[in-house]
Amino acid sequence: MSTATTSNSPGKWVVLPHYAFAALAFVALSILLLFSTDAFSGHYFHPKLLTLTHVAALGWATMLIFGALYQLLPVVLDCKLYSEKLATIAFGFLGIGTILLAWCFWNFELGHVMHIAACSLVISFILFNINVIQTARLAPKWTIESDFIVTSAIWLLVTGIVGLIMVLNFTMAFLPVEHTHYLKLHAHIGMAGWFLLLIIGVGSKLIPMFLLAHAESTKKLNWSYNLINAGLVFFIFDHLFFHTALLPVYAVLVVAGILSFMVFIYETSKTRQRHDMDLGMKQTFVALALLLLPIVLVFIVSSQVALPQQLLSAVYLVYGISVFLGFISAIILGQTFKTLPFIVWMHAYEDYVGRFKTPLPKDLYNHAIQRWQNYSYLFGYLLLVTGVLLNNQQIILAGAIGFTITSLLYTANVFQLLLHKVQELKPFSYGNASV
Amino acid sequence: METQVSEDFGNEVFETLKYIIDPEVGINIVDLGLIYSVSLDGDVLEIELTLTTPGCPMSGTITTATEQILLKRFPNLDVKVNLVWSPPWSTEMITEEGMRQLEGK
Repeated sequence: MSTATTSNSPGKWVVLPHYAFAALAFVALSILLLFSTDAFSGHYFHPKLLTLTHVAALGWATMLIFGALYQLLPVVLDCKLYSEKLATIAFGFLGIGTILLAWCFWNFELGHVMHIAACSLVISFILFNINVIQTARLAPKWTIESDFIVTSAIWLLVTGIVGLIMVLNFTMAFLPVEHTHYLKLHAHIGMAGWFLLLIIGVGSKLIPMFLLAHAESTKKLNWSYNLINAGLVFFIFDHLFFHTALLPVYAVLVVAGILSFMVFIYETSKTRQRHDMDLGMKQTFVALALLLLPIVLVFIVSSQVALPQQLLSAVYLVYGISVFLGFISAIILGQTFKTLPFIVWMHAYEDYVGRFKTPLPKDLYNHAIQRWQNYSYLFGYLLLVTGVLLNNQQIILAGAIGFTITSLLYTANVFQLLLHKVQELKPFSYGNASV
Repeated sequence: METQVSEDFGNEVFETLKYIIDPEVGINIVDLGLIYSVSLDGDVLEIELTLTTPGCPMSGTITTATEQILLKRFPNLDVKVNLVWSPPWSTEMITEEGMRQLEGK
């Protein structure tokens, strides 16, 4: 029998600040949403909508993914994180870049501050790439999960660079065609290249692990990886150079990749030994179900469907909402309570296990709050989408209130975990004898 | 699970290790099937254990916990804990009691 190594987990100060920042960014996002109900009646290139999108994509989703990934990368790749220092510096640049960019979009300040913000973000993504790629190189074997994670990091950097070029173009105007053309490119590389590939790569390892299930084969994951990347690369070249009407074909490739991942999860979950799913896993499956809406809408936004302009604008907005506030937010709301309690527990109690009776990770946060968080999220999301489609500000406001409640409940639980103090523990006693 | 010790002593070791709960699954490491073997060579108690997945962040915690709990229970013995990946853990290794707990019965 071969002897294995000990824990590869990074220090808590590398991981936990990301969760704190992301939770506060989610609250900020919800509050900004309350003041943006008027912005949903027009084009998606609106200062308030650009602010919301970037706070959601960077401050909320990317920040949390960075933090979670520093903890999960050693689990998925079976090796230590390459550099904790790089991770901390990347956190600083991501945080500063996000705050400055949000401020610039909200006030539509397109000058030097926005340049600094975009540069900060690209620096953060470069550092993140170095850390991810070097960690993957330390892994004992290169797996399909490594492919997904490393490629997603590269796509994040490409997304950031396209964003930086667009920011520079605001003041220097050197790009040959209109801004929204590149915005579509920027958004799709970010959504399919960064978020989707990363979530599939990590999810394909974690979901079976949490369900105590085993994957018979990774063939479907290989298909998923190849199809999504092929669709994305074809889309980029076409969008930049050829301008054909083949965009729905590329959408088919990406959707086929998503479906291949879904089949993998379905087949794997049939072997699961754990049947009592906790709220975190239930929310994760809700997130996967919510992916259906952007899958349908991508065909409308990528084809030349003749719809009234007002409805088409609403569909574009719902498409973006269904990705950032639908699928990605839902999966974060679920997976936070599969990862964070465990991380906090490990740092608080690992020295006591075997000597004292310790609580379990699930005992460190409030399950009733988590349940209401999941309800208010679904309520808020459905109302927001309905409000945008019907162009009704009252319904949009009700949705924003739902999101605000969700963010406050979520943040209360996250901070309860982050501020957890080790309780007085009782030593074990065996039978009647105390040892 | 293999034992190269007397049945009574082996049972005592397994009963002691049942105090260590896998924090994610919520089941003790014996019923989860993580203990591969228990052997006693002179005064060295050797345990071979695995985890549900390679790279599991619990590796250090569970290994140390196993060592600490056995040292407390058997203070006259030296305890050696080896974390192994072969054969890989699978759900078939969960005991009947573990399955009962997983199914919430």
